[in-house]
Amino acid sequence: MDFSSVLSGFSVAFEPQNLLFCLIGVTVGMLIGVLPGLGPAATIAILLPITYTLEPTAAVIMLAGIFYGAQYGGTITSVLLRMPGEASTVVTALDGHALARRGEAGPALGVAAIASFIGGTASILLLTFIAPALAGVALAFGPAEYTVLALIGIFLVGTLGSGSLWKSAAAAALGLLIATVGLDPLLGTPRFTFGTDQLADGIDFTIVAMGLFGVGEILYNLEHRDRPQPAVPAFGRAIPSRLHWLRSRMAILRGSVTGFVLGILPGGGATMSSLVSYAVEKRVAKDPSRFGKGAVEGVAGPESANNAAATSSFIPLLTLGIPANATMAVLFGALMLQGITPGPGLMTEHPDVFWGVVNSMYVGNLLLLALSIPLIGVFVRMLRVRPGVLAPLTVVITMLGVYSIRNNAFDMLLVVGLGLLGYGMRKLGFEPGPFVLAFVLGSLLEASFRRSMRLFGGDVTEFVQRPVSGTLVAILVLTAVVVPLLRSVRSRQTAAAERAAAE
Amino acid sequence: MAGTEPEAPEEEAFEEARPGGRVQAVVAGVLPVAIGAFAAWLAFGLRIGSLTDPGPGLWPLIVAGLLVACGVGIAIIAATAKAHHGTEAFTKGAFAVLCAAGALAVYASLFEVVGFEVPTLLLLFAWLRFLGRESWLSSAVIAVVATAVAYALFILGLGVPLPHIIAF
Repeated sequence: MDFSSVLSGFSVAFEPQNLLFCLIGVTVGMLIGVLPGLGPAATIAILLPITYTLEPTAAVIMLAGIFYGAQYGGTITSVLLRMPGEASTVVTALDGHALARRGEAGPALGVAAIASFIGGTASILLLTFIAPALAGVALAFGPAEYTVLALIGIFLVGTLGSGSLWKSAAAAALGLLIATVGLDPLLGTPRFTFGTDQLADGIDFTIVAMGLFGVGEILYNLEHRDRPQPAVPAFGRAIPSRLHWLRSRMAILRGSVTGFVLGILPGGGATMSSLVSYAVEKRVAKDPSRFGKGAVEGVAGPESANNAAATSSFIPLLTLGIPANATMAVLFGALMLQGITPGPGLMTEHPDVFWGVVNSMYVGNLLLLALSIPLIGVFVRMLRVRPGVLAPLTVVITMLGVYSIRNNAFDMLLVVGLGLLGYGMRKLGFEPGPFVLAFVLGSLLEASFRRSMRLFGGDVTEFVQRPVSGTLVAILVLTAVVVPLLRSVRSRQTAAAERAAAE
Repeated sequence: MAGTEPEAPEEEAFEEARPGGRVQAVVAGVLPVAIGAFAAWLAFGLRIGSLTDPGPGLWPLIVAGLLVACGVGIAIIAATAKAHHGTEAFTKGAFAVLCAAGALAVYASLFEVVGFEVPTLLLLFAWLRFLGRESWLSSAVIAVVATAVAYALFILGLGVPLPHIIAF
């Protein structure tokens, strides 16, 4: 590896102009992370016209800052309001909000900020040293490997929930089904569009996330608006206590590695890694029943994971030219607008852009850590706003955000429909997690499956016969056998604990 | 007038919502079956093809089949189980949810016809007053201020081309 270009990347990152755009990027990112609805992909798309006039490095530094800054900001609303600003902070809401209701909002946010910082920074380091090697491995993946990989991802999330396996599987199947709406990815035949052009492009992930999580959550809370609101938890110190730290540090370590590895895989990314990290923490915990009731590891693990993944998801884009998620796809567009084609040649042809952007992330993460600690106090005050006031404001921001994606009022109707679906799913005991993941991976899974089938001449057993995909199948089977066993042990323990508590 | 609303006595256990009954648990299985069956019927309208040469309908058909299978599993478990923990009973509040969803649908439909200002103002006011139970005055003030802020943020700040009637 050419270290001189890595070092010259630092001089690029520390140019005053680039520092300024890094600061603007992370601040905007944090803000939109807090606003539910307007995700980083939508924000970056909105800001694309502005970046025409900027120098390429500065433009990408700013847009990248929005992306990973949003990971920090999304945490705040997850913890305080149980309204995840970003899909990748959905699991943080489970334990983060439970902690907040217990009066530990400050420590929870402190742990989240530190976990995010460590996860992000560790990921940049790993990216710098092993990006070329990992790019080689990922290059060897064919459609068969992607098929199995996507299945593993969906399976892991399906087993994550505490709900029934059947319902998780049904939710995943529904997600896969909704993902097929639009033009057939290989042949271009319209499917499930009911004759309208509005559905020809399929349903945007942002719309699904906004509808299911944003509007769905608002509607769900509306039903129970007569419930007495628990007193606003007192805001503790923004710095986690010794106990919080001791409990989180291993989770942060595991989360950083999980996030880095999953972030590289296309279709994986921040959301999946945060979900997987949560599942891992729940499984390694001595007392898994604490999870969902305010386990600080449930905040630390996913937060380090989603930031590590946000960083490492740049790897496939910058080294292979494959966007790993929706935001990366928009960044792909931003680079193309600047006349730079992301791909294997980027590192050698534009070393200043590649290493300038990568090294600016160190700066960005430091800035975010510095911003998070004082700003946490400001955001905790948001809890004092009455939910009756907050809900309509959130809903308007969400609706306007939805409109801003495609300047299309039909999408707003779609979001309302998906919101009702999210509400109904929650009332009937279906978890939105598997649904959303399956939706995200749906097109990848289908395209890979169909390409493999053509490749194999319709022989399904080929999945097992090829060494790489065979290994992945073995992993899938192993998880499929081991996980239900673990679940049954866990549910027996939980039942025993409930009986003990009842007596 | 805040705080004069009598609390519903049956909602004392607000931490855990009441589980729904057997019927609701079975419905949770019947709905996926219905959706899956409908999707499978639509998939047959597309070309299924074969495993060697998959058509556009093959994958949706596989997924729809999975959905039906899961739904059957859920329904059987729900019909035979003694306890039903999986679902949450619908309360009177579900009416407010439907009202809100209806209001949002109307909002989305009016949006491109009359611009975003008036619908936003009305939506905010109605939601604050009737769903949020704010006073008439604070509902009006918050609605006006929030609409102005949304205008400044989205149209003037972010340059989102929202349909609007007030132009500068």
